[in-house]
Amino acid sequence: MSLILGIDLGTTNSLAAYMTPAGPVVVRDASGNALVPSVVAFGDGVVTVGAAARAHAVENPLATVYSVKRLMGKGLADVEGDLKYLAYPVVAGRGGMACVNIAGKEITPQELSAAILREVKNRAEAAVGQEIRQAVITVPAYFDDSQRQATRDAGRIAGLEVRRIVNEPTAAALAYGLGRKDDATIAVYDLGGGTFDISVLRVSGGVFQVLATDGDTHLGGDDLDMELIELITSEIRERFGRDMTFPPSTRQAMRNFAEAAKIRLSSQEQARIEIDLGAERRLERTITREEFEARATKWIDHTIEHCRAALAGAGLTADRIDQVVMVGGCTRIPLVRRRVGEFFGRVPYTAINPDEVVAMGAAVQAGILAGVQRDTLLLDVIPLSLGIETLGGAMGKLIMRNSTVPCQASETFTTYADGQTSVDIHVLQGERELARDCRSLGRFQLRGIPPMPAGAPRISVTFLIDANGILNVSARELRSGREAGVQITPAHGLTSAEVDAMVKESYTHAIADLTEHRLIDLRNEAGRILTAIDKSLAGAGAALSGPQREALDKAVAALKARMAGDDPDALYAAMKAANEAAMPLTQMQMDQVLQKTVMGRKIDEV
Amino acid sequence: MSELEKTAVPSKCSRCDKPMAEISVCDYCHWLNPAAAGADYFALLGLPRQFDLDEEVLRGKFLSVSRYTHPDFHATDNPQAQEMALRVSAAINDAYRTLRDPASRAAYLLELLGGKSSAEDKSIPDGFLATMMMMQEEIADARTTGDQAELDRLRGVLVTQHDGLMRRIAGLFGEYQEAVACQAIGTDLLNEIRKQLNAVSYVKKLLSQTTAQPTAG
Repeated sequence: MSLILGIDLGTTNSLAAYMTPAGPVVVRDASGNALVPSVVAFGDGVVTVGAAARAHAVENPLATVYSVKRLMGKGLADVEGDLKYLAYPVVAGRGGMACVNIAGKEITPQELSAAILREVKNRAEAAVGQEIRQAVITVPAYFDDSQRQATRDAGRIAGLEVRRIVNEPTAAALAYGLGRKDDATIAVYDLGGGTFDISVLRVSGGVFQVLATDGDTHLGGDDLDMELIELITSEIRERFGRDMTFPPSTRQAMRNFAEAAKIRLSSQEQARIEIDLGAERRLERTITREEFEARATKWIDHTIEHCRAALAGAGLTADRIDQVVMVGGCTRIPLVRRRVGEFFGRVPYTAINPDEVVAMGAAVQAGILAGVQRDTLLLDVIPLSLGIETLGGAMGKLIMRNSTVPCQASETFTTYADGQTSVDIHVLQGERELARDCRSLGRFQLRGIPPMPAGAPRISVTFLIDANGILNVSARELRSGREAGVQITPAHGLTSAEVDAMVKESYTHAIADLTEHRLIDLRNEAGRILTAIDKSLAGAGAALSGPQREALDKAVAALKARMAGDDPDALYAAMKAANEAAMPLTQMQMDQVLQKTVMGRKIDEV
Repeated sequence: MSELEKTAVPSKCSRCDKPMAEISVCDYCHWLNPAAAGADYFALLGLPRQFDLDEEVLRGKFLSVSRYTHPDFHATDNPQAQEMALRVSAAINDAYRTLRDPASRAAYLLELLGGKSSAEDKSIPDGFLATMMMMQEEIADARTTGDQAELDRLRGVLVTQHDGLMRRIAGLFGEYQEAVACQAIGTDLLNEIRKQLNAVSYVKKLLSQTTAQPTAG
């Protein structure tokens, strides 16, 4: 039976896990690392993902993409506030979609996320020794429909069938609650790199029921880093001049310092930063935990407000919560633990690895879908109300937020002109009264309506939110009984055809990438062979016979020619031939070495 | 069909022939009953068609029925079964949501019993309108002056009103059941329930005004 992989596609780091009878297992590389930095770098025609990409971020700031999760399912106008965190160029692509501009080429966040997912998939395949075709991918609970669709599309482009999109706090609850027998009401506080979620769940008899969820998709560790960056830059400007400007590579370096300082301040009272600004200018600063907390506190205040809202949504007070589970790297920060503990009136639960718990939960859900976890069930909710734009620009809610999914609502539409054969609906998500203050999911066109007088057709449209929290629309004209075709134009997403095209393209590229990598490896190895042969020739070349030397020279020339070429198989063959032609030489060289060592010694020393 | 007749639970599962306890799914082979998608909410959750409902019993039924009907449970089934699970689950979730809140439960039950909708009958109990209009003014005043204590007091009054109305509605449904049992006509009772429900909607609207944030935000 093929394995379904559980993947945590994070703002800062991604990782995967899979289910076994003994429980979820996190995928690790040979060094034991589970985390793959969610960074994609472009250079010399090669795409790098992960730690290697991250390592070159300072040298390569305009072509190293991080925190791409912030751009998923968004238009450029939506991410204006995020741009200050991003050192790389973000532009408006087709339909105003937020895209990244690398060396003049527009790349969608879906394609970038797909590169990360592909890397995670490859590592997992190496770890489990089998091909992986299906996955469960997690998203922040507060992700809207567009953001979820974008994540699913990214999975497809990476060659994965995404069986389920799962909310991160719910996944964490699954991992936490697996195997526990007692009923409990738990809160999951998930503060990640770029997003914050708080979910309140009731767990009983293996059923994990989300009661309410709240959050902010623009609140996370990046904001705390930003506070430290602003602290540093304002002091730099004070000392070295108001008009100090920072090139992208310096900004990237400062990001790294800020993040490192933030992490250090979780275990130390102080963190020292040294920045070289060139031209004999250096900033050396010791940041205290107190200073950091003073600046961080307002962000944590926001998270507590959301906690309040979630409790209200669940109809509970803080004392009814039995356990608060902490998720996300930022929950290691002492300030966060303190404030959360104060609000809920209990010490938060931190025994489960906050970086790994979401992936583990995704693996459990994968197990449920594979049919191996029959006594566990997840009942999740839609985080934002869903509705349509009504006359006058109002938002008419059809499905309320915190409704358990799957759920549905129906609405009847009609035409306003005689013979009209299609009707447009504008679908929105959000809690505001006016359509323009809500998130546009896109326009749905109902087609194939039989021509009738205006107002005569009765088109019943069913809005069904599936278990992924994604909207499915179907329509039927009641008088004729005919199914109406539904054509969707997403507001900030890719059409089905576009994703198909990207899947094809990425498949071709995957092959090209493989070949490219293989060539690079082989060329390196070939170079080593040539160097070794040169050395041997210098030492023992004179001892070769005429024909032997001729054969070797020919093989070396052939190898050099193949190195310059593009055919890895031919290159490999030339390497083998060169090694063979060099065997007499190597043999002689070894004899020489042996002679030299033995000659200078007495018998009993050998 | 008499109003109190419920949607019939099939006696045997179409697939494995074992007796069916619930209308939506067979406990043994987990076959999903297509008729479930059109069943009323009480039948769907295996509950008697009446207003009185224990919250815990309702919750227990919801969880147990969800277990074998959820799409996740049928993730390895054929596409038709998965499609069925999606629809049945949506219906079950809607059922739970509707029956959980007493006011929406009352409105739903009233509709099932053939009572009038709020669109068809907007009448409210005598004297109620005057009281409500007065309260509305008091709320508006308290909001303008930012008198939180007054708003809290008004909220308390409204909550008491709301609870009283719901108790009356519960009683009326009980009377209706008795009437039907005696073969008497209960239409008047249904109309009265509609009136009381309209009053509840009004009270709820005022309640939301006592907690609403200033619209400037």
